[in-house]
Order: sequence, then C-alpha cells, then structure tokens
Amino acid sequence: MRAVEPWVEGPLAAFLDESAARLTLLMTSAGQVLAQHGFTRAFDVMSAAALGAGIMASTDELARLMDAPPFRALAHQGVQHGLFLSGFDTPQGRWIGLVVFGPESSLGLVQLFFQRLVADLAKQAPTEAPSNRVLGSDFEDELNASLRTLFGQ
Amino acid sequence: MSLVNFTSREITCKIVYYGPGRSGKTSNLQYIYGRVPEARRGRMVSLATKGDRTLFFDFLPLELGTISGFVTRFQLYTVPGQVYYNATRKLVLQGADGIVFVADSQARRFDDNLESLQNLQENLLAHGVDIRELPLVYQYNKQDLPADLILGPDELDDALNFRAVQSFGADCLSGNGVFETLRGISELVLKRLAAGSRVA
Repeated sequence: MRAVEPWVEGPLAAFLDESAARLTLLMTSAGQVLAQHGFTRAFDVMSAAALGAGIMASTDELARLMDAPPFRALAHQGVQHGLFLSGFDTPQGRWIGLVVFGPESSLGLVQLFFQRLVADLAKQAPTEAPSNRVLGSDFEDELNASLRTLFGQ
Repeated sequence: MSLVNFTSREITCKIVYYGPGRSGKTSNLQYIYGRVPEARRGRMVSLATKGDRTLFFDFLPLELGTISGFVTRFQLYTVPGQVYYNATRKLVLQGADGIVFVADSQARRFDDNLESLQNLQENLLAHGVDIRELPLVYQYNKQDLPADLILGPDELDDALNFRAVQSFGADCLSGNGVFETLRGISELVLKRLAAGSRVA
C-alpha cells in the first residue's frame, strides 16, 4: 500500500483487511492518485485513475443534466472481478475511490466497509492547511538535465 | 493541479492537448508513445469511436526521470476536438497544469482554430481558471503541407497567440516539433511548480 499522506494509511489498511478488496485506488476528481493498494506498475495506477476519474466526471455531469444530486456510487460485475466506484467529500476536497474485488468478497461487503473508510478518512484528515514546501534550489538545474536526457537535446 | 508527494518523493503533473478536430492532438501522443523508451512510458489509453475519432480522451503516462530527488511523471491527455463533444472536453480540462493548443495550420481551418481557442477559454473559466494564468504553448501542426494551403507560424502567432507565449511549427506525422512542444510545456509547468506556487 502507498499513500501520499500518511494519515490515509490507517483507514485504508482497515478497509483492505475488512473488505478483502484486491485493488484499491483513492484519487482526486482530476485523476491524481492519492493512495493505492495492489497495483504493481505506477503507470497502471495512473491509467486506472484517469479512467476512474473520467467515469465519475461523466456520471456527475449526467446527474447535473437531470437536476439531480451527484450519483454516490456505481458498480460493475464482471465474470472474475467486480468494480466499485464512488465519489465522496473529505476535508481535503472531493475524492474518488475505485475498488476491484474478487469472489472472496462481494459488492455489499465493499460498500459497507467503504462507507466506514469514508467516515474514518473524515475523522483522520488534518484540519490545518497543507504546508507549502517548495522544491530544492537545484530543482531547475536537474530539470534541464532530465529534459535533455528524455528528449535527447 | 500538480501533486507533490514529499513522502515517496514523486511529482505528477497533468498536461492537456487541446485544439479543433483533426488538428493532430492524438497524433502528438501517438508519436511520443512510439519514440519514448518503454521504461519511461505506460500504455496509451484511447477512448475513441469506431472511426478512430477521440470520444472522451487519449491518455499517456510518461516518466521524465528523477529531478531533485523527485520521480517526475506527466499525464498527457487529449480532448475530443469535435464541437459535439464539449461536455467531455470540459471534464478532461479539470485539474490541468498546462495546455498545448494544437492548431491546424491549413488556411481553411483558421476559423476552427479561433473557435476552439475561445472554447478553451470558456471551459477553463467554467473551472474557475483564467487562461492567462495557466502554462500554455501553441503548436502549429501540418506545416509540411504545401505553402499555398497553410498559414505560417508568424501569421498564426499574430492571429492566435495573444499572450505571446512559446509556439512551435510542427508536422506530427513525421515528428517535427512534437518533442520541442512537449519540452516547452514541461519546462513551463515544472518551473511554475519549482517556484512553489502550486505545491499540493
């Protein structure tokens, strides 16, 4: 499991234990990854986050067209895996959770413990604004070197 | 908005390729995908129609390397260019750290470029973002076409580049200008981040 903010780790670990989810991804509504469990390649995490955020953005927009509040969650049941996707508000802004589960779990179990995860995150979230730590003074030199390496110039 | 993870020392930035339909946004990503070493990029995800027109977005995750101890990743997105898909275009713009405006250099597409640029401004405003404050570069694609069919970079700068930002003549199919454009927007986005204005 990896998380951008350490305070996310406790609630997420509890969710993983109880729900038996295979993959879990927490992201911002723009698709930036905040925490993940179960993915092996960083690039796969980013693709899953982009697609999950796209689905949630589409359904939120459909709800808006219907003058309805945003859909809380949606689920897909496949042959081997189920997928649960839900948007929720935190003190840090609107987040999205994407959960993939197998036959050892169920949609009901995932939904139940996801609600607890959302409540735990709300309790654990720091109330003060995040510190505005700037990057090192050598950042720009190294940036130029990396750009030369990648683009071969 | 860029995400800086000080714990795992990772930076992730979102760059959106915007422009009128068939201007070459997807071609940019396809060229980059084909040329960047496999270890530095993920799979390219394309949500397209059966006719290969972008329906929702194309997505390409790219790793720039380690900068100042931070693994730096870019998420490259395109938007669907067709007028019909404005709702999805607006969604993809959410949280963008930088924009590449891909204009079609053909003289007959001039109005389409203007319309798309106005649409970009409107859609950013819908997210509360002023186009004058976001890193932006222009790419004038299809500069390889016969000179009597296209407008040159200077003419397009006069018509579209109201902020006098960096612009690049390009021919995405052969790759001319593709990496120069990506490098230009990468520098703008990361230097803005280095200045500390958008650290999450």
